[in-house]
Amino acid sequence: MHTLKENYQLVLAFATVLAMPLFMQSGLLAAEVLIFAMAVLGCNLLLGFTGLLSFGQGIFFGMGSYALGIMLVKLNMPLILVLPLTILVGVVSAVFVGWFSIRQRSVYFVLLTLAFAQMFYFLAYTMTDLTGGDNGLLGVPRPPLSVFGIELLPLESSWQFYSFVATCFLLVFWFLQRITTSVFGRTLLAIRDNEIRAGAVGYDVRGFKLAVFAISGGVTALAGGLLAMMAGIAPLSSIEYHTSEMILVMTIIGGTSNLFASLLGAGFYVLSADWLSSIWPRWLLLLGVLLMLISLYMQQGLWGVLEKLWHAVHRRRRREPAISATESEQQS
Amino acid sequence: MNGTTGPILRAKGVIKRFGKFAAVQGVDLSVAPNTIHSVIGPNGAGKTTLFHTLTGTLAASAGTIEFDGIDVTRLADHQRVRKGIARSFQVTSLFPTLSVRENLRLAAQGTHRMRLSDSWLPPTGSRSCEEVVSGILERLDLVRTAEIPAGTLSHGQQRRLEVGMALAARPKAIFLDEPTSGMGVDDIDAMKSLIHGLRRDHTVVLIEHNMGIVMDISDTVTVMQLGQVLVEGPPEMIRNDERVRAAYLGNMITGGAA
Amino acid sequence: MNVYLLQVVNGVGIGMLYFLLAVGLSIIFGLLRFVNFAHGAFYLLGAYFCFQAIKWGLSFWLALILVPLIIGAAGWAIERIVLRRVYDKAHEFHILITVGLALIIQEAVILVWGPLGENVPPPDILQGIVMWGNFVYPKYRLFVIAFTAVFALLLWWLLEGTRLGSAVRAGSESTEMVSLLGINVMRIFGLTFGLGAATAALAGVLAAPIRGAEPFMGLEAIAIAFVIVVVGGMGSFSGALVGGLLIGIVQSLMSTLWPEGARLMIYVAMGAVLLLRPHGLLGRG
Repeated sequence: MHTLKENYQLVLAFATVLAMPLFMQSGLLAAEVLIFAMAVLGCNLLLGFTGLLSFGQGIFFGMGSYALGIMLVKLNMPLILVLPLTILVGVVSAVFVGWFSIRQRSVYFVLLTLAFAQMFYFLAYTMTDLTGGDNGLLGVPRPPLSVFGIELLPLESSWQFYSFVATCFLLVFWFLQRITTSVFGRTLLAIRDNEIRAGAVGYDVRGFKLAVFAISGGVTALAGGLLAMMAGIAPLSSIEYHTSEMILVMTIIGGTSNLFASLLGAGFYVLSADWLSSIWPRWLLLLGVLLMLISLYMQQGLWGVLEKLWHAVHRRRRREPAISATESEQQS
Repeated sequence: MNGTTGPILRAKGVIKRFGKFAAVQGVDLSVAPNTIHSVIGPNGAGKTTLFHTLTGTLAASAGTIEFDGIDVTRLADHQRVRKGIARSFQVTSLFPTLSVRENLRLAAQGTHRMRLSDSWLPPTGSRSCEEVVSGILERLDLVRTAEIPAGTLSHGQQRRLEVGMALAARPKAIFLDEPTSGMGVDDIDAMKSLIHGLRRDHTVVLIEHNMGIVMDISDTVTVMQLGQVLVEGPPEMIRNDERVRAAYLGNMITGGAA
Repeated sequence: MNVYLLQVVNGVGIGMLYFLLAVGLSIIFGLLRFVNFAHGAFYLLGAYFCFQAIKWGLSFWLALILVPLIIGAAGWAIERIVLRRVYDKAHEFHILITVGLALIIQEAVILVWGPLGENVPPPDILQGIVMWGNFVYPKYRLFVIAFTAVFALLLWWLLEGTRLGSAVRAGSESTEMVSLLGINVMRIFGLTFGLGAATAALAGVLAAPIRGAEPFMGLEAIAIAFVIVVVGGMGSFSGALVGGLLIGIVQSLMSTLWPEGARLMIYVAMGAVLLLRPHGLLGRG
């Protein structure tokens, strides 16, 4: 990874967030991009940084949707309180799922996350009093963000909502950037590279995995909650296998080598889905093809492709030999 | 160096089973501080498995392991690191995508307790373990390769880094599992002097197939066969022991040049 | 008593189909060491190809033989042309390439046959019921049990008694050893993948007259196949059999007692096995 780029990753994210209202007509669609970008960041933290392939991200996404829905609709709590509690719900469910799942490695870990995803789905399906079952939890409002009765930010209009989601997104991005460049974050990379060695040099690998699960869960649940506010409903689909699968797909499409790639992946997917699905309902077929192509030829995803283009353009302009990845890593 | 006058490592009755197969079948081992203690034996003797149980990479099925006065039998490998145990692996086990410097920094950092600030602050300043890392880069002649990914090093360089990772923990006892395997002659000589020099500040427990090294630098040699200790003693005694010769089926252990 | 006997027999029938579904996945994991997320898609194709064959006037019996062979060949080709190139990449890409493949197949099916699903009639000779004193049961379902039992024996003979089978089993232990013995490991990979696809397709053909052909049956199938392979033991033939029957019977019985709980229980069982005995009831290390 290029530490130089990480310093302006946040700038790139910021620029994208500012640019979206200029190029897009629907505030809600733009918000959806950022919402899924948060979910993808959560997934990338596990996959790209720690080497954990989780098919259970839909669990935390759905739990976030339901938690926020229940708190706003059934408990009438103020939004300022609901949001941190939604994150907490995500953290707790992730610690629960993670504690069991990380006891196993590689394919057994993957299947454990799958098993948990199915369990939570069936629980959500059957606990209709809480979740509304197949219909979902309806009537999720978009109340203004207020403290002690003072209204800080109304969220009624789609662009107002977007600015709120954008703020959450940038805060999450900044937070994750700090974490991934910290000592803790660097240790995650070591665990990803070789967890046996990581243990042998003194790191409590399980503890680290659990911590990263907790962070991932919290971020993903926040995204789920925001989606419920956006759509007005906490749907069953949030906690379905398909959601877990798609979050993972977005993560891979964007690229797992850095945080901004997650925004790319989510943006690509959400916008393609919106645009293509009206033209051709079977657009997922193309997505499947893209997945296979990425697995074969572009493991670094969209970010990797853009990076190569950038280097190619750069080289031509400067007429210098290509800067190898290892040389430009001398920024420690 | 440390306050104990008795052995720094005392393992009693260590057994390690994999299903029905016992790779280590009741091993006692005492290692005196600031010595080089080699463990040798034919393939399948259980040497590496014994290492795994001593360093905590695997939990022993039975027996006790006492290190520096503390019972570490139940402790996981990462916990034993903080007690002063560090190891290298027989099959090179590095962090391949990370730079050599980062590999060493991680190894040095591993002995410190994680604090909350560690999840927020980057590895700069004191968290970079600069002194330790630079020292080891020098000592192991890896300065030129400091910034390149560990996975791209030559085999000899990787074996040196393996040892370096163990050294970075500044341990009381350092467990080296075939450090010279696959190395060229020059590298081997350099490694031999390095290990010999370690006993001043550390205790070294060494698995080696290279008898030139074992006989020349060891203070004590333990010979294992089929999961048990066959005989133990100073190198000259081992060199002449009939049982050891028989165990190796030949004369591969009569010592190397110099 | 009759109700429970009925459910047990149903369970055996379902269980045998589950076995067929799981055994291919299990063998593929045993040798190729990765989880084939496209496995359910082969099952799906089996059911739809069967439907199409019958629509074109071919007999069910012909479809029963041809469809698995065709899909098996397709599976072999896919492994050779596509999957082979991903073995040296990070392990997540092994999984993800098959996820992509599954998506492509599923969407293609909807493209060709529409989203609603089709009915597949059992062959005339197997329509109707069988009566044995008090015991009344559909003929076709009895046929399924008998057929899969015979097929299971054939497959077992293939794995235990032939050189190819021995190579597959040996390859599951160590691909290095097998190649040192002079056997072309790569060719075994392809044949194994093809065999897995063929058995999944066979399960699809057999299942079609019972539950019809419907685009999302692939997802259900892969989910259940995972559970069985995990519970029975990855890479184990007998594990797939025992696991399939166990899950089939339990599921069948629970559908009368506590229908929603049935599915939940199955995944709890999967999780429990993964945690306590990850190699499954009958799996090797």
